[in-house]
Amino acid sequence: MGSTITEKILAKASGRANIRPGDYAEVTTPCPTVIAPHSAIDKGAGLILEWGARVFDPRRVKIVDGHYGATASHNAAENRRWMREWAQTMEVPDENSYELGRQGIENMVAVEHCWPLPGACYFQGVNGHISTAGALGAFASALSYGTAAYLLTGKTWVKVPRSVKLVIHGTQPPGTCPRDVSEYILGQLGPSGAVGMVLEWTGPYIDELSMEGRFSICSQALFAGAWTAIMNPDPRTVTYVTARTTEPFEPLMSDADAEYARVVEFDVSAVEPQAVPPPKRHVVKAVRELEGTTVNRGFIGSDANAWIDDLRLAARVLRGRKIKRGVILNITPGTVSILRQALDEGLIRVFVDAECVVPTPNEGMEWGANTPLARGDVCIATGQTNYPGRMGSNDAQIYLANPATVAASCIEGKIVDPRRYL
Amino acid sequence: MSAGPLRPRGAPGLPRRLSGKAWAFPGILDVDWEICSYSLVRDLQRKGMFTYEQLGQYCMINVDPEFPRKVQPGDFIVAEQNMGYGHDHDHACMAIRGAGVGAVLCESAAPYFLRNSIDHGLPVLEIPGISTAVTQGDALEVHLAEGVVRNLTVGAELSFAPFPPFILEVLDAGGVYPMLKARLSAAGRR
Repeated sequence: MGSTITEKILAKASGRANIRPGDYAEVTTPCPTVIAPHSAIDKGAGLILEWGARVFDPRRVKIVDGHYGATASHNAAENRRWMREWAQTMEVPDENSYELGRQGIENMVAVEHCWPLPGACYFQGVNGHISTAGALGAFASALSYGTAAYLLTGKTWVKVPRSVKLVIHGTQPPGTCPRDVSEYILGQLGPSGAVGMVLEWTGPYIDELSMEGRFSICSQALFAGAWTAIMNPDPRTVTYVTARTTEPFEPLMSDADAEYARVVEFDVSAVEPQAVPPPKRHVVKAVRELEGTTVNRGFIGSDANAWIDDLRLAARVLRGRKIKRGVILNITPGTVSILRQALDEGLIRVFVDAECVVPTPNEGMEWGANTPLARGDVCIATGQTNYPGRMGSNDAQIYLANPATVAASCIEGKIVDPRRYL
Repeated sequence: MSAGPLRPRGAPGLPRRLSGKAWAFPGILDVDWEICSYSLVRDLQRKGMFTYEQLGQYCMINVDPEFPRKVQPGDFIVAEQNMGYGHDHDHACMAIRGAGVGAVLCESAAPYFLRNSIDHGLPVLEIPGISTAVTQGDALEVHLAEGVVRNLTVGAELSFAPFPPFILEVLDAGGVYPMLKARLSAAGRR
């Protein structure tokens, strides 16, 4: 019997010849670990300092200021200062710090630099959406509260997960983006469709997809209860990685006779623009079913949809138009390099002319740190989650949708199907 | 800034045999809403009220506002599939532990919730059949190392795959940081 890509990576990372679902293993990785000022102190980094202990290898710590941007809230200033002092005490090299000016959403900066490598484990401080890095053929997990335990020892443990193989056929329907495919399939799987498992995305649709589209899809695994997502590296992956890192890597692939918990096939050619109404993350609908709902706030950003492809899609809708008076649309590029690309392509000019607000790259509005929602606000967002209070007030409502839907809805001040704008 | 609010409690970890009453919660329980509201936690953090006990006062209040007052030390939360759905935010584990809950027994657990709970010294046990074998108020006994849960009220017994020794060691210590702290001090003495 063969092995899945996940089993192969975890076997290698634990120094075993092979490994099976349900096995416990101690694993290591050559990849660096990203931590961030908004969360490190709470995840044990403060204890390392208090104990006078050392991190196992400061050269393998990257610090990315990804959640604050220019915000004055969320204790940003103090946490940022604390993080810098911590890094100095721990002797993290200066060039490993991605402070404001070089920053971006942690997951996105990580994959842009290919810190996660094909065939290896990649562990990041917080943020379960680091499943994003599965698109590089890495086994990617957040360490969360265990972050400092990893930073102290250079090891963590896994219970080898089973995998669900998703075989995706079809082509990208008009007015949709990879996020719609992801939402549609997560909606079909249900919130407990793959609890504790790995979503292994395969099939002709995935083969044709850009790396950015793959990142976007992989970012959402946890909404099916999955631990993470992964894709088998192909020539597109290898080209992307070799252009961005000189680190050696060895791509691993699932065997044809690997064993899966389930194999599920989908054809996505008829998928419509999707939307997730509040407050349940797992109730996924077609935008068409929600048309006419009044909105006064919009957000295009987050690791689901702050890629250059997403900004291009939003600009197609917004070019030559203005958003409705009384509506605020926040468009936040995910990283500085995406911002630079958007400037070069004239997209930022389109957004400014449409009277949108463009903050410096960061997670920002996704967690209420930029342009937070007030009581009674109704927001349509490309963010990842819609539970009450996620973007500010508990008494605001969050609808989730793709960038074209958000842009079109902010032009009209109500939820609309974006296809008439494209 | 001090890391004080997260300093692990001085109390020793859990016994390996737990007993208490069942508090059954149906449906999907999101770490950021049903278990403990995300925006509330932000407020508490801002006020420096971020200990286990302080978060425990808000555990499950979006489902049962009286839960933190009714639950007794050592009681169990019994849940269905995908307990601790959503983000890898660990405040939910802190709230449950801080409310005095001895262990979470569920059909299945969201992977980050499970890992964070272990690191916080809170056992989260995946026990197929538990949500139908137990009803609200049943008296339960859990043997962590043996992988057995007994429903003393109805006289039933379920088994589960026990944690391996290294995880039991984390739970014994009361969490990953108390364990590592003890190891570091021992290494320092040598």
